Amino acid sequence: MASVSIRNVRKSYGPVEIIKGVSIDIRDGEFVILVGPSGCGKSTLLRMIAGLEEISGGTIAIDDRVVNDMPPKDRDIAMVFQNYALYPHMTIADNMSFALRLKNTAKSEIAAKVERAAGILGLGPLLDRFPRQLSGGQRQRVAMGRAIVRDPKVFLFDEPLSNLDAKLRVQMRTEIKEMHQRLKTTTVYVTHDQIEAMTMADKIVVMHDGIIEQVGAPLDLYDNPANMFVAGFIGSPAMNFIPGSIGGDGFTTEDGSRLPLGGRVPAASDGRPAVYGVRPEHFRLADEGLAAEVVVVEPTGSETQMVLRPLGSKAGQAGAGREDRKRELTWVLRERTGARPGEVVRIAPDPARAHLFNPDTGLRL
Amino acid sequence: MSILTSSGRVAGAASVGRTKRLRPSYWPFVVPALIVVVGVIVFPWVFTLWMSAMEWRIGEEQRFVGLQNYVRLATDVRFLEAMAHTLVYTALSVVAPLVLGTAAALAFNTKLPARGLLRGIFVMPMMATPVAIALVWTMMFHPQLGVLNYLLSQIGIGPLQWVYHPSTVILSLVLVETWQWTPLVMLIVLGGLASLPTEPYESAQIDGATAWQRFRYLTLPMIKPFLMVAVIIRSIDALKSFDILYTITQGGPGTASETINLYLYSVAFTYYDVGYGSAIAVVFFVLIILLSLVLLHLRQRSAWNSGDGK
Repeated sequence: MASVSIRNVRKSYGPVEIIKGVSIDIRDGEFVILVGPSGCGKSTLLRMIAGLEEISGGTIAIDDRVVNDMPPKDRDIAMVFQNYALYPHMTIADNMSFALRLKNTAKSEIAAKVERAAGILGLGPLLDRFPRQLSGGQRQRVAMGRAIVRDPKVFLFDEPLSNLDAKLRVQMRTEIKEMHQRLKTTTVYVTHDQIEAMTMADKIVVMHDGIIEQVGAPLDLYDNPANMFVAGFIGSPAMNFIPGSIGGDGFTTEDGSRLPLGGRVPAASDGRPAVYGVRPEHFRLADEGLAAEVVVVEPTGSETQMVLRPLGSKAGQAGAGREDRKRELTWVLRERTGARPGEVVRIAPDPARAHLFNPDTGLRL
Repeated sequence: MSILTSSGRVAGAASVGRTKRLRPSYWPFVVPALIVVVGVIVFPWVFTLWMSAMEWRIGEEQRFVGLQNYVRLATDVRFLEAMAHTLVYTALSVVAPLVLGTAAALAFNTKLPARGLLRGIFVMPMMATPVAIALVWTMMFHPQLGVLNYLLSQIGIGPLQWVYHPSTVILSLVLVETWQWTPLVMLIVLGGLASLPTEPYESAQIDGATAWQRFRYLTLPMIKPFLMVAVIIRSIDALKSFDILYTITQGGPGTASETINLYLYSVAFTYYDVGYGSAIAVVFFVLIILLSLVLLHLRQRSAWNSGDGK
């Protein structure tokens, strides 16, 4: 059990700065997920916590002890890798006990710990097999077992579910969460999948281009994104962004349509350009709403996702480019619908759950 | 589960399924290969076996003696000594290049400056002709004129007799063999190292393995199949070794470095005792076959990356 404190950490490869001063506080027993698109520096940050990458600047402390110059083995951490990184020539039992054997742990203690971990993960019958004889999900479980037997202060997960198929991923997600609830070990988990982040984390750290965009509880990020990047990254399908300007008590889109703001007009902002953000599930049918043509209807059973093209927008006209496509709106509704492509619907956003962003800085107004 | 069965068994099952009777019209196509195999492999061996059961000296009457040549072998001190020399020479000529070649491969596997150039220079001994090598080493071994003793004298070590003394002759010959064939082992092991996965090394680092432990518990077991290939190739090569030995010492001084090959050569082509020589050849052949079988079996057991590893 331990806290992890990351203070103004930087990482450069030559002149290229990958991580540009990142600070995170992770409390004892917390499940923190670093999420962001590929290349945002989240894996590098995790590898720096592990000691597999050198820290170019700032400090990382585990339990208030700065570990910058400490080799990985002395940090009392365990890491689960995306490609499992099992020892291919060792049996599952040997894989799990390797770290303990290196420390000359008593045989009886090793056996007990391996048995306990195997019990938690349901690996009992596989202990004598070799990694190549196991399926991807089983291998990932062995990798987790290897971490559990260490009984470390901190678990580090580097995209552990990326190599699994969709169904197994959902199952393993639950297993990892259960494991955390049971062991209550401080966990830092890296993923590019915001659903994983939303479903598993106590706290999400959204990273982008080597900086932290926002830190917060999953639903907090969902409801109160600090900026357009977080708003667009968290939530699936992604938030709709409608450019326009603030005027009077509402919002005027570039096409001239009016959207309600519910009286939440920022001060001294009349005529100011802004981006109106609304999540796909926060539209409803309304006679006075935005007129839009149905482009695609995608029923999933539990809900229906619709891509709409606002009438009057260039998106609908011949020769519409990629940029215009962006004006298309996504609407998710719980009810089933008889709407067909080509029909025109009128929808209105829920003003209480809409957001306004500064188009230049991306920050929420 | 069927996927997990070893590839050998699967392949075996498939070929059993295909052994139908060959149609008679296909037979002519087999004949050319059959002639070559019989003429080049089967006939010489059968003929050698037959000769080994004869008292057969060139220019004398031939006489069938049954197993008498083999009985004579069992009490032939020179043969038994040659056998011992062969085994010692082979063992050393396998182990020394194996250890040095592995060390060299580990070195070449790191980001050494000018790695490509150094590797090129390192493999050059392998390309040289054995007789040329033997002549150069003979000169270097010379107790008075050789460069080796000169070099040793520079660090204060007294002149050695090298190949001119019974106690050092085999070690000196092993030195030549090692010099020539360490590069081969290095190439085999380097190929093995290049094929190893990198991820386990990171988890081993986190698991707390030191550099030595990572070598001992990860690298070494994982390159074992490659080491076994090197052992097989080196063992067979060292057992067969003739040219370097013959050129440098011809088995001398006395018979101190006489291996089975050299003794066989003397018996057959110096003493013209073809029958007895054939018996030596047969025993030697059986020895090589047995050793190869053992090594192949060990190699299969060492494979962690195929089959079910049991």
